[in-house]
Amino acid sequence: MKFRALIFVLIPSLLAAQSVVELQKSFEKKVTEFTLANGLHFIVIERHDAPVVSFHTYVNVGSVDDPSGETGLAHMFEHMAFKGTPTIGTKNYPAEKAAMDAVEQVYDRLDAERNKGPRADAAKVAAISNELAAAMEKADNFVEPDEYDRVVESNGGQDMNASTAEDSTNYFYSFPSNRIELWFLLESSRFMNPVFREFYKERDVVREERRMRVESSSQGKLMEMLSATAFAAHPYHNEPGGWASDIEHFRRPAAERFYRQHYVPANITLGIAGDVNPMEARRLAEKYFGRLVSRPVPLQYRTVEPVQEGEKIASVSSPSQPFVILAYKRPDRHSPDSAALAVLDAVLSDGRTGIIYKDMVRDKQMALGAGSAAEFPGGKYPSLFLFYVAPSSGHTSEENQKELDRIIQHVKTTKVDDATLQRVKTKLRASLIRRLNSNSGLASELCSYYVAYGDWRTLFTELDDYNKVTADDVQRVANTYLVKEHRTVAYTYVPEAGPAQEGAK
Amino acid sequence: MMRRILSLCALLASAVLAQTVPSYQQLTFPPLKQVKIPDPVSFTLKNGMRVLLLEDHELPLINGLALIRTGNLFDPPDKRGLSSVMADVLRSGGTSTKTGDQIDEELENIAASVESNMGETSASITFNGLKETASTVLGIFKSVMTDPEFRQDKIDLTIAQSHSGIDRRNDDPQGIAEREISSILYGRDNSYGWNIEHADLARIQRKDLQDFYHRYYFPANIMLAVYGDFSTPEMKDQLEKLFADWNPTQPPVPAFPPVTAKAAPGVFLAEKSDVTQTFFSLGLLGGTLRDPDYPALEVAVHILGSGFTSRLMSQIRTKMGLAYSIGAGWGASYDHPGTFRIVGSTKSASTAAAIQAARAELVKMRTAEVTDQELKSAKDSVLNGFVFFFDSPAKTLSRVLTYQYFGYPKDFLFEYQKKVAAVTRADVLRVMQQHIDPARLSIVAVGNPKDFGKPLTEIGKVDKIDLSIPPMPAVTMPVK
Repeated sequence: MKFRALIFVLIPSLLAAQSVVELQKSFEKKVTEFTLANGLHFIVIERHDAPVVSFHTYVNVGSVDDPSGETGLAHMFEHMAFKGTPTIGTKNYPAEKAAMDAVEQVYDRLDAERNKGPRADAAKVAAISNELAAAMEKADNFVEPDEYDRVVESNGGQDMNASTAEDSTNYFYSFPSNRIELWFLLESSRFMNPVFREFYKERDVVREERRMRVESSSQGKLMEMLSATAFAAHPYHNEPGGWASDIEHFRRPAAERFYRQHYVPANITLGIAGDVNPMEARRLAEKYFGRLVSRPVPLQYRTVEPVQEGEKIASVSSPSQPFVILAYKRPDRHSPDSAALAVLDAVLSDGRTGIIYKDMVRDKQMALGAGSAAEFPGGKYPSLFLFYVAPSSGHTSEENQKELDRIIQHVKTTKVDDATLQRVKTKLRASLIRRLNSNSGLASELCSYYVAYGDWRTLFTELDDYNKVTADDVQRVANTYLVKEHRTVAYTYVPEAGPAQEGAK
Repeated sequence: MMRRILSLCALLASAVLAQTVPSYQQLTFPPLKQVKIPDPVSFTLKNGMRVLLLEDHELPLINGLALIRTGNLFDPPDKRGLSSVMADVLRSGGTSTKTGDQIDEELENIAASVESNMGETSASITFNGLKETASTVLGIFKSVMTDPEFRQDKIDLTIAQSHSGIDRRNDDPQGIAEREISSILYGRDNSYGWNIEHADLARIQRKDLQDFYHRYYFPANIMLAVYGDFSTPEMKDQLEKLFADWNPTQPPVPAFPPVTAKAAPGVFLAEKSDVTQTFFSLGLLGGTLRDPDYPALEVAVHILGSGFTSRLMSQIRTKMGLAYSIGAGWGASYDHPGTFRIVGSTKSASTAAAIQAARAELVKMRTAEVTDQELKSAKDSVLNGFVFFFDSPAKTLSRVLTYQYFGYPKDFLFEYQKKVAAVTRADVLRVMQQHIDPARLSIVAVGNPKDFGKPLTEIGKVDKIDLSIPPMPAVTMPVK
């Protein structure tokens, strides 16, 4: 019986390994890369089955690059990238520009008065605020609303959006393939010459986004507190959207400075996947993106998170049902231990055969959901290996945390068996294959692997690293990194009703 | 000063470059290449199961989806949730020869999956695997579908999880808003609108699961679609052999119970103390995709609330800065009236202002025709994006399957395309006036009224929604 099981495990995985090598070969034929003189890098993936194309712009800047006191600026620029250019989104650009500059002059006076702190004159603040509102309204009168978005949507653009994370900012959408040139025109224009119109209205929108994602969600609040507690010095400390008071106060010139510093061609990688001719893409890239002026790449963030000296605790009081996280410091994605940590994560929580699911959800039924994540909140810098659990009704957070501790102890003292290791590797290979089945996924994956590792092929070759991981490696990284002194425990709890709440007042 | 010089340079640069690069209005596009729409092969197995096959050789994968004509709508009113529990344990409870845990291991050893799900008007069993494991995956898929054991330990697990889910149902404010507006619009006596309570789960027995299964899971009541890296004649042969020994029959499944309009216009407030935003939903009972006005309604509601350039987005997000997320959808369904909804969220203090602004946009859509540009943009967006309905074999197959399942004509989408192209400004105004009456709106707000600047009563008389969760009845079956 055991022998039979072994055959079952081995044969498919060998075949799958073979098919990955073949897949990489087939991608070598489909992928064309080129770099413009200004430093912009393009990755073109041909897939001619349907006349559609997906575009992905990967900018190697994220919330870690936010200036101190102006967290959320990377995200704010992401929103401004949809506001248009001197020719898109305006009724009269010179007049609009003058009106926008007038807004800043009034705002300078407001900030100067507010800056007096307790000695600020409330009446003056109110008067200048009124002046400011009037100046903004004047500038807004020159706006052709949402023109950039409308051009994309009315040309059949699909799934247009953008996202700002700790490590990167990403812009993406798809067009019917006869409109490729329109993307080249629009995308190059917005990164060459963005106009930060309606900045302060959009700042309110961004503030609302934070209310929605963080402040009105107990898990959002918990994740924010987890990062803020686990990272003392590194900007992974900050939620990517930024802190509320920073969002309420940062100014347009700060966002423009941020853009000039970070949105330099050599910091941007563009992926194009679908029904596209790479020669034509190159010609259009030269024509449109060749206009961007080369500028020096800013230094990567250099503060290194110091070694954690002891366990930290973060708690969030919330009427919602409880949620617990245990997060351990781990090295960045370039560490030689990265592959073993990825395998450990899969052993712990991939699918219904992961150790945590089987033990806590299925057998002991103490958790509604539980698992692990190998890399949070990013991978560019040292980050966290975390465990999460949502306790079942009738089971406490303490009891669940204790069980997680037991499992962690188990992986530190017991080697993972061969069948499990084999299964996990097979699944990692299969998950790669499944990630290759859409234009948008391909454009995004190849860009992010290129930026992270200098070569899109790492998407395929990292499987070799997984394959080399042994049971000893898995046990070793568990012992090296899952150390109590280097962890943060974060949890929500339901406040005690009645007297306790009054006492708190 | 520095800034001024820089921006002057930028202006000069753009002036120079304007000569070499066209504006977007000057661009012309070649005609779009003809899209190749693959034609699935369809046939019926000897046991009566209908099958659709579509080859797709790009990746070494094979996928399948079986649709079973049943749904939450057939839950007994005193055992709400039965069908979902059944679907879950169909997979986790194993077969007569293997436990669910053994199946988990077998599938994951080969990186494959078989899953079972229950919706309102259809159930599904899906599978997915690497090409070289096809026969193993198909074998497991078949035994899950035809030979479920419903082991008691997994029934207990699913029911315990469902109890925990009920206890967590008031944690997400957006979820509350969606759930409550459905309850108001559809009423609480059917699965579109009811909540599953602890007491329902406590009454569900293994026998109930078996009975439900036997009533609905039989070959003539199932449509199977398979796509991926295989050869059609071989797959056909394989399926015929695989299901040769499965021949149960049952009387035809009756039609789903019809939806009767229960909509209660008014303002409803669910209090949630730990949020800084109010999540709101304005809705009314809408229609089906068969309605002659469906294409015009899609265009109309697109102008009102779809994408980044809609009136709601433009007014409430861009101009007023009151919301990050705001939009509307006509929400037509295949076989029953769907719900028209405006959905958004705003800081507590602007709750009334945002809802009033949303309602005002609706009123405007009914009092004057939209502009030519709005109509053109909305139609262009649908028509230019049409090709995306056909950009993968999986989408094509899923559409063919859905049309067959709900009895829609094969060319429904192309007819829709023609009708969208023909929609006029007058049509938009007419369908807005005819189908979306603001006086009939039900408005749900989930938030913290202590922080509402203007009280919600400014919008209308407010009914409070009771979010309390009925406890487990005193006498129940033991639950682990």
